[in-house]
Amino acid sequence: MPGSSFPGADAPGDTAVNPLAQVLVDGIFTGASYALMAAGLALILGVVKVVNLSHGAFFTLGAYVAYVLDSRGVGNPLAAVFMAAVIAFAFGVFLGKSFINPVRSHSFSVAVGSLGFAILFEQAAQMLWGPHPLSIDLGAPLAVVDGVTLRRWGVISFLVSLGLVGGLSHLLSRPLGLPLKLIAEDEEIAGSVGMDVEKIRYLTFGAASAVAAVAGALLAPAMAITPTMGRVPLILSLIVVIASGMEKVWNLFFLAVGLGLLSNVSAYLLAPSWSYVLLLAVICLLLVLRPSGLATVGPSRDY
Amino acid sequence: MFGLYIARSVPAQPAPFLCYLFRMTGVRLFRFLALFFAGLLLAGFLPAFADDPSSRPTIRVGILAPLSGPFASGGSSFLEAATLAVEQANEGGGILGRRVELVVADSQGRVETAKSEAMRLISREKVFAIVGAYLSEETIGAIEAATAARKILIVPVAATAEITDGVSRDYPRYRYVFRVGYSIPQWAAMMGEFLRQRGVKTYAFVGASIRWNRELAGALKKTLAGSGILPVYEAFYSPRNPAFEPVAVAAAAAAPDFLVLGDPGKNSVVFVKRIREGGSKVPILSVGGSLGDARVVASLPLSGPLYVQAAAWMGTSEAATRYVTAFEKRFGYSPVGYSDTLPHDAMTVLLSAIRAAGRLDTDSVISALEKGAFPGVAGTYRFDASHQATWGPGSPDLHGTVIQWEKDGARIVFPRR
Repeated sequence: MPGSSFPGADAPGDTAVNPLAQVLVDGIFTGASYALMAAGLALILGVVKVVNLSHGAFFTLGAYVAYVLDSRGVGNPLAAVFMAAVIAFAFGVFLGKSFINPVRSHSFSVAVGSLGFAILFEQAAQMLWGPHPLSIDLGAPLAVVDGVTLRRWGVISFLVSLGLVGGLSHLLSRPLGLPLKLIAEDEEIAGSVGMDVEKIRYLTFGAASAVAAVAGALLAPAMAITPTMGRVPLILSLIVVIASGMEKVWNLFFLAVGLGLLSNVSAYLLAPSWSYVLLLAVICLLLVLRPSGLATVGPSRDY
Repeated sequence: MFGLYIARSVPAQPAPFLCYLFRMTGVRLFRFLALFFAGLLLAGFLPAFADDPSSRPTIRVGILAPLSGPFASGGSSFLEAATLAVEQANEGGGILGRRVELVVADSQGRVETAKSEAMRLISREKVFAIVGAYLSEETIGAIEAATAARKILIVPVAATAEITDGVSRDYPRYRYVFRVGYSIPQWAAMMGEFLRQRGVKTYAFVGASIRWNRELAGALKKTLAGSGILPVYEAFYSPRNPAFEPVAVAAAAAAPDFLVLGDPGKNSVVFVKRIREGGSKVPILSVGGSLGDARVVASLPLSGPLYVQAAAWMGTSEAATRYVTAFEKRFGYSPVGYSDTLPHDAMTVLLSAIRAAGRLDTDSVISALEKGAFPGVAGTYRFDASHQATWGPGSPDLHGTVIQWEKDGARIVFPRR
């Protein structure tokens, strides 16, 4: 660049060798991060059968745990993930037992109450860490393959998401996961065979909250950490869960990856403002065709 | 005998005061002395009491800023900086011998809330003037409330043209509105001058899909077109699903000489991470805000140059250095030079205008604001016919600054010295 007086201004090789390939790879990673955020929500919707609007708050909690550890010199993501999971599980069990279970049959109360908890958490986070954005060192990309950058946290969220969804799918196909499956299908029968349905519900709520916090802790370095950072993941998770349905866990993963690809490719080829519009349009279309979600076999419209 | 009787029972003349005093004993003397010293104390304290600003009604100024929600970061800096300005004014004896009192309202970043809170400040809290709001959309709502009640509104940050257009269009109605911060064309002119000085030929603009970001992109394009500097990429991401990666890839693929980031919020931080992670070293110029925060920048990769535009920075003037030092001492972190500095100056300008007017009267203060020159942290503020502070590269006082982040802190690179 003529007249430049700073290092690196005219550095060659500034652009990706294959931008479209980069966009596709990033799209897969973005979708995997949607799946990571949505997995816990799907568990709550499937087993506890409530729409939990505090899910984003647990995502934020995980990110702040990662920040606190990083600012104290503990930059190990595993430590952040472990701490975030433990704290969020404890909070989740408390919330599930003390609030969600008693009002579970009143869907509006659950929605308003969980939203209230989310706002309360945002205020608490603002009081504890301030309203200003906080940031963690991103680290270098994992690798550059044929001119395509493999973003560190993209790869990690992809692998963790894959592991989580695979693990959940495996669990539900084994005797250990039978109580979850049975409660999801018919909790009266589950209760009649001696299962402590209430306990399983709040433990599930705790586990799902822990999953959200793990997602937050893992994605924190790639984001700006603020008290309201959980709002966008909450909406995206809801979109993924509602559209995928709860019957097959892998559907959630593939739909999330599909939506990530759609979001990124449309933003690249059309305009970024189109990505959200198209994403919502596709979801609307999906729900019109399959109101119970992708997992249902054949059309299942209400008329 | 008779004469003596008359003399004793009805004194012909009052006894001299000292004789009377000497004759007093016991309880009467004690009462007299107590009354005398109480009177003396009262007389001694009254002048001092009258001079003490705390004894007089305060000057109530409303602060309208988003203190909760997604814009709480900017709103909280806004409040802190305005508080600092008021504390400094009160430490200096107040304004017109009266203390200044802040009345705070949370606009939550919502237009309707901003309007209703502005109305509350005016009707219930009886403020003399309002400093606010923060977002352009909020400010439009606050303007309607303030002008209807004939209250002065000093706009510190919001940049859309609509804010001062009203003053030119319908002066009697909108004359209560003054903007201390830069308008969008002024902002574009300052950034454009920096890009011209750098010898830039092409640039990319990335911002949020909000009105003033689009207006800024348009104004920058218009400013630079005359110099043959062209945009090679423009993108506005949705704050609900920012899709940063494809925007970062496309912006880098367009190979601009410079990348201009129009979003002052947290998303600009994420975008810088994405573009540097993708390997691009393209120089970035941010409009300021979150990327002016040293705590955030400490975690960002500086593999390519990162520039931030600001109203003022430590070292641009003695006033700026004093302000930064006072802010750091009071709040424990460095100001970002935009969402704090401009509200600080907005409050300072308002209080200086009240002082210049000599009385707490809206018309007199408006007149003072229109005619006066008011020193602030970023320079000396003067208002044009549309009540817009005269910012710009040609302005002797208000030309803004650009800093470059380096490993060990920020370096002022514009204006050149």
